[in-house]
Amino acid sequence: MQAAGVAPEDITVLTAYPMEWFAFFRRDAQSRMWWIACLGGLIGLASASALLWVAETSWPMNVGGLPVFAWWPNLIIMFELTMLGAILATVVTLAVTARLGRRTRLYDPAVADGQILVGVEHPSNELLPAVTRALEVPVGADVKRL
Amino acid sequence: MPKWGMAADLDTCTGCGACVTACHAENNISTVGPDQAARGRAKHWIRVERYWEGTFPDVRVKFRPVMCQQCDQAPCEPVCPTYASHHTENGLNAQVYNRCIGTRYCANACPYNARFFDFFNPSWDKPLHLQLNPDVSLREVGVMEKCTFCVQRIKAATSAAKAEDRPIEDGDVTTACAQACPANALVFGDLNDPESRVSRLARSARGTRLLEDLGTQPNVTYLSRQTV
Amino acid sequence: MSAAHQQVTHDLLRPLFHTTWRFFLLVAVFGTIVVFGLSAWATQAYNGFGVTGITWPVFWGSYVTSFVFWIGISHAGTLISAILRLVDAGWRRPVTRCAEAITAFALMIGAMFPIIHLGRLWLAFWLAPYPNDRFLWPNFRSPLVWDFFAINTYLAGSVLFLFLPMIPDFATVRDRSTGFRRRVYGLLALGWRGSPKQWHRLETAMSIMAVAIIPVAVSVHTIVSFDFSMAPVPMWQSTIFGPYFVAGAIFSGIAGLIIAMEAIRRFLHLQAYLLPIHFDNLGKLLLLMALLWGYFVFNERLVTYYGNQPSEMAVFWRTQRESFAPLYWTMVTGNFVLPLILLGIRRFRTIGGCVIASLGVVMGMWLERFLIIVPSLGHKYLPYSHGSYEPRPIEFVVAGSTFAAMTLLYVIFAKLVPIISIWELKAGASGEAGHS
Repeated sequence: MQAAGVAPEDITVLTAYPMEWFAFFRRDAQSRMWWIACLGGLIGLASASALLWVAETSWPMNVGGLPVFAWWPNLIIMFELTMLGAILATVVTLAVTARLGRRTRLYDPAVADGQILVGVEHPSNELLPAVTRALEVPVGADVKRL
Repeated sequence: MPKWGMAADLDTCTGCGACVTACHAENNISTVGPDQAARGRAKHWIRVERYWEGTFPDVRVKFRPVMCQQCDQAPCEPVCPTYASHHTENGLNAQVYNRCIGTRYCANACPYNARFFDFFNPSWDKPLHLQLNPDVSLREVGVMEKCTFCVQRIKAATSAAKAEDRPIEDGDVTTACAQACPANALVFGDLNDPESRVSRLARSARGTRLLEDLGTQPNVTYLSRQTV
Repeated sequence: MSAAHQQVTHDLLRPLFHTTWRFFLLVAVFGTIVVFGLSAWATQAYNGFGVTGITWPVFWGSYVTSFVFWIGISHAGTLISAILRLVDAGWRRPVTRCAEAITAFALMIGAMFPIIHLGRLWLAFWLAPYPNDRFLWPNFRSPLVWDFFAINTYLAGSVLFLFLPMIPDFATVRDRSTGFRRRVYGLLALGWRGSPKQWHRLETAMSIMAVAIIPVAVSVHTIVSFDFSMAPVPMWQSTIFGPYFVAGAIFSGIAGLIIAMEAIRRFLHLQAYLLPIHFDNLGKLLLLMALLWGYFVFNERLVTYYGNQPSEMAVFWRTQRESFAPLYWTMVTGNFVLPLILLGIRRFRTIGGCVIASLGVVMGMWLERFLIIVPSLGHKYLPYSHGSYEPRPIEFVVAGSTFAAMTLLYVIFAKLVPIISIWELKAGASGEAGHS
């Protein structure tokens, strides 16, 4: 395919399950998701601290002689909201970077049966014959125009 | 700023139960009927605990009036998720009925079991429904209630003293139970006033506090019985 | 390879496309029980909390027991699945989704109980910190508010943790169906195509979620244990409660998982996927947790006994050889003796043996929470205020109907979602083939 003159980022590969042992699959493996999750955690921590600060200073009530801004109990709330922030950030990042929720472009239901779809979206007219030839090389390949 | 407290003299307490009745009348505590009472759901903000010591015929009976101890470090307060149970500036352990959602956590945390739950909406046998105290709110089903040291009387006395532009004095205010006690075993007053009767009793060598080792710092002093 | 994959897809999607009379029967039976339970709850809300057996001084009873129990059951799924994902245990693949579904449903049911047990349940929203004109906030020093935050975080995390790996399977269902079903699953699949980028992002997201959800799960049951250990009640104020409750939660969770897996295996004919090896592995895990649970109980009991505080010893003897002793020793049998025999001896560690041991553990763990709550509350410091508690029929109806609710949710879930992750199973099978 690449020999036919298609840039690697234009080739669409769709599989029914992750296939780590194929070279094409290593593409896009790098991601900043971990950092974004940490950032989400920090946002969660900040919002927890803000919530606690507002809540505990607006009614500084004495209960059982505990300090108004009690660290140990507050740490629990901070921890939970930090984790919630990280989890939500992860899911949002997944939805955005994996382009979930977009209208399906190049796709074939046969992928779900275990077929591997290799294709090019909107190939320019001069590339079309070369692409078709390249795709027909492997035995058992089934070239479609969708 | 007063700090309200009470002293109970176990030597003079006769266990007559007048305090319990007076408390019911003053604080609009609904009666629950014999069936519910038998299941342990009677609400006595103050109760007279009876203990027998020794074996028959050499038996001695002891009485101990127990109400909310208005602890300085009350275990019931921090566990409440809605601040229904919290501490006031003058040392009272307040219960805001309207803010209570009925988790009953405070009642579990209270080592004295001085808190009571409204299992049903309150009702009174006629004609008791005509004697409700207008100064005390009724509690609906699902809230906790407990001894308030007759906070409505404290409020009234404080307002009266303020209207006359004078500090509140010892004897201006007393609780229904202390008022009703025929033996004067219950004494109510300001612990911050070193000359008040309750302060002097609290400093007495006979004074003990109930379950003091739990660190609750109760504001009720029990004057132990002198061995006879 | 492709034929095998076709077979996998076919087998695992069969429950979605073929509805038998058994499905309707199950839904009808369990649905009726759930409706019965809901009406019992409505009766309680209408008449007042007094219809239950709760009384002074035992203000918490079967509802709080069931709360801790269900939150405990919820610890099987996400926690175990997250750990198995992180260590990349290959045998996890058919197990994770049924486990994660248990977490989601058990948490939903467990989170109902604090509301069921409220005196004024219509004010339950006061636990939430929402802005209001009087700046009234919940008391962040109350363990119940910690519960609120921990359980909601865990619920949100678990539902997402369950949902994310379902997306590719929704896409499979979408591609295999027509009409209305195709549109619904198309919506759920969120336009999943299966590009390498999507797979990478999904797997990274699952790793992050697994790392994040493990401490959350541990914190949830620690905080549930704080509901008890923060109050000055004999036998409650114990520093061991955090880990003790977490271990107990995982313990009962694994038992719940084994029971659910066996039910799925039989009803959905998935004998080819849920193999004896899975039960054997989970059985070993259950055995380990039984030993750990026994260790914690030994610690808790021995330290109390040695400390010899009068108020604690009164509760201690109440459970050990007085009124609560029958329940106590039933618990020890179900939680320790039975698993040790059935799972410790290899000959008995069959699927049947695992299921029997799990039933014993589930029952024993419910009793464990009951025995932590009731004997202590009925026997606090002042002898005058000692009391006892017996659940009333309405409590049995409400608590019992939650088991029906769990089954109902699970039956419907297995009907709508492939209960074994299709793509993970294929990836596992191909992974072995591809590497070899």
